[in-house]
Amino acid sequence: MSLVIMDQRSPSQNQFWSLLSKKFYNEASPEELQELQLILLNNPELHHQADMLTEMWQQEPKSNIIGSETAYVRHIMKHKDEFFAEGNPEEISVTEFEEKPSFFTRRKLALFSFVAFIMVVTGAFYLFTQKTKTGSVADESISSVVTKNGNRTKIILPDGSQVWLNAGSNLDYNNSDFNKQLREVTLNGEAYFDVTKNPDKPFIIHTKKMDIKVIGTAFNVRSYGDEKIAEASLIRGSIEITLKDRKDQKIILKPNEKISIANEEPEQILLKTGQKVAVKNNSKPIPQIVVTDIKPNPVNNIIAEIAWTQNKLYFEDESLEDIGPMIERWFGKEVIIEKESLRKVRYTGNFENETMEKVLSYLKLSKQFNFRFENDTIVIY
Amino acid sequence: MDKLEDITRLGERIANDDQLAYRQFFIQFYNKLSRFVMGFTKSKELTDEIVSDVFINVWRRRKNIEEIKNLKLYLYVSAKNITFNYLKKLHRENLADLDSVEIEPEDPFADPGAVLITREMNLRLKAAINDLPPRCKLIFTLIKEDGLTYKQTAQLLNISESTVENQLSIALKKIGGAIRYSFRHN
Repeated sequence: MSLVIMDQRSPSQNQFWSLLSKKFYNEASPEELQELQLILLNNPELHHQADMLTEMWQQEPKSNIIGSETAYVRHIMKHKDEFFAEGNPEEISVTEFEEKPSFFTRRKLALFSFVAFIMVVTGAFYLFTQKTKTGSVADESISSVVTKNGNRTKIILPDGSQVWLNAGSNLDYNNSDFNKQLREVTLNGEAYFDVTKNPDKPFIIHTKKMDIKVIGTAFNVRSYGDEKIAEASLIRGSIEITLKDRKDQKIILKPNEKISIANEEPEQILLKTGQKVAVKNNSKPIPQIVVTDIKPNPVNNIIAEIAWTQNKLYFEDESLEDIGPMIERWFGKEVIIEKESLRKVRYTGNFENETMEKVLSYLKLSKQFNFRFENDTIVIY
Repeated sequence: MDKLEDITRLGERIANDDQLAYRQFFIQFYNKLSRFVMGFTKSKELTDEIVSDVFINVWRRRKNIEEIKNLKLYLYVSAKNITFNYLKKLHRENLADLDSVEIEPEDPFADPGAVLITREMNLRLKAAINDLPPRCKLIFTLIKEDGLTYKQTAQLLNISESTVENQLSIALKKIGGAIRYSFRHN
């Protein structure tokens, strides 16, 4: 290569870089700017470098908002007591233990949850003994935390792990076995877990569709019996997922990924339409599984999966028929959509500390519907 | 982007327990502080810990936040102090040194398609920035990407302003040298 390398040690050359940096920094005096021009005039080959560097200097640094968002959630979760202590009484309300039977008094949601749990062997046994409700054989060893619709609560497990239980959910664990060899809990509903590290005693969450094995991590699990999709979203650490109907397959989630599993079961579909079970469900459907990245909304930076832990009722481009159950759980009131054509209308919304009436009024503003209160029920028409 | 008045206003809101302002503040500085701290610790976990400490201190002391004249510089100084304390505790004082700092700067052109620049040129620039001596790279990054002033950089690193100025022009000269080569070559 026969390149003519200019002597960059010459005084005017050094002066050039110093002046250029001053210019970038808006510190150059008019005289200095003039001097810079002069050097450029005498050394036309410097134009290219000056232009390129100017262009580079003016680039806005690309900010990794996704990384900062999840870091923020980690930060808040690490110091949660300092952030949730004031003004958010609901979120840190004392763990409320409830009598199990109230679980069954909840309308159709309870029915679906029951159906959901029959599929889990341990859950089935437990619920069955509860339902007969005579002997308290298994009762003493099982702790059950239930949140009614409209309530969210925080639980500290015997191993120090923390669980934020979203509304309309329940978490069971066996008091005498928990933390012996394993740390096992059963979840129906949605919870954010912050699990203390203990490689010797794996933490396992049983849900209807999957078992989730954890070493030490923070993540969100959503597995409501009445929703089409079950999800696990990982914020940090790593979790291993085993599907109930494909025990030999394991899926490892990396931070900022979530797995979604279609919940559609023949039983459920039949129940929903009021027909009898036991028809053609010999061929068990294989659930559809997708692993995707957790992404904050580019406009408002909210991570939909964990918005509820920040006391936000949030949905992104969801249909009214899916929003209905979310509102039910959030406010503890039943929602009925009378007008069929409204079911598929989609909304995006973010609500903090709003009343149910306000939320519905806002939704109404964007796409017109009416609603009325009937005792504890809201009818949308 | 981080104008002093904006940061001051965020500080005022944080002093009034405004968690949204705190969040915005966190998001605005998290990556920058992490890069700065990471340069010394070279450990992702430790960096996470330290940066979280820096921000939780801001929250804990929010009632006095308005007494801090320059919140941005305060963040960096606090990050530096906490980092050096951690390194001392871990008996890694040797890392608390400007000449062994390893900063990973951003891509010079985040979106090369947006300007007339070839991929090769972008790589060349990136390599030139990466090849800067540790201290020089740190100063270049603090000023160009983090938007610190000469004065703030000097205060943060306990060096004189003229050293900062000098180092920046050395950085530009070296980076400029890398693209001059390619220009002649083509």
